[in-house]
Amino acid sequence: MEMSVGQLPGLSEGMNLPDIKRVITQENINLYAEASRDFNPIHIDEDFAKKTPLGGTIAHGMLILAYVSQMMSAAFGQSWLAGGKLSVRFKTPARPGDTITVSGRISRVEKSDGQTSIRCDVLCQNQNGESVITGETNLRVEK
Amino acid sequence: MPKEQKIEYSQLEAGYEFPPSSYKLDNSIVATYLKAVEDTSSLYQDAGLVPPMAIAAYAMAALSEGICLPPGAIHVSQEFEFINTANINDTFVSCARVSRKQRRGKFHLLVIDLNVSNQKQKAVLAGKTSFILPEYGEDN
Repeated sequence: MEMSVGQLPGLSEGMNLPDIKRVITQENINLYAEASRDFNPIHIDEDFAKKTPLGGTIAHGMLILAYVSQMMSAAFGQSWLAGGKLSVRFKTPARPGDTITVSGRISRVEKSDGQTSIRCDVLCQNQNGESVITGETNLRVEK
Repeated sequence: MPKEQKIEYSQLEAGYEFPPSSYKLDNSIVATYLKAVEDTSSLYQDAGLVPPMAIAAYAMAALSEGICLPPGAIHVSQEFEFINTANINDTFVSCARVSRKQRRGKFHLLVIDLNVSNQKQKAVLAGKTSFILPEYGEDN
């Protein structure tokens, strides 16, 4: 099955969504803390974080998840903003200095009643190939 | 929320409903959020829309202001459903409810359902957030 939607021509099962790459910095994390009002010291207090089993600050999981949503909205536009669903697991923390690559692959395209349901597998990996977030997204588009 | 108004993890039971939390996302907040997540898409600013993950982030912040989780609590999984778009300057009400609290070996699983609506009581977002907590959390 092949169709076009949003910025993706020729949408079909097995197709990869355009990747997003982000370099995590402590400055990003601090800004996200301010933007989200999440001031947990594990994210922003390096002295505190060094004394924990994590050994240093980590990015908010919700920051990395925001990148997943960015990839989806870039690909599907408003269909993602109203009707999008995501389900993920946080596997490994992202740390300052990490480069996170967010990728997605369409795993299912189903048409019914004038709508098309799209399922994608999503993955966020660090520069060492470790999974930071794994999961799936679902949405419907009019077509 | 002052710490004394937070509920301790040990007091939580399945079915517990946190006090609703209200927040307005104005242009300045949305701009700060978009900068923080490095989202340069025209989708939001041009259309006056709020990124759904900004709504989610504020719902999660409201939740964390209402609960004392023990050290070592880990956010392990997250689900969100973006039900309707939201506009800049909308006021949101976030409701959270404990849907599951369960011992799993030396750890505890805590699952909290989130529902966010706008000032017209229209559903905007639903979610489910899961934490794993160390066993000593019960005593702290």
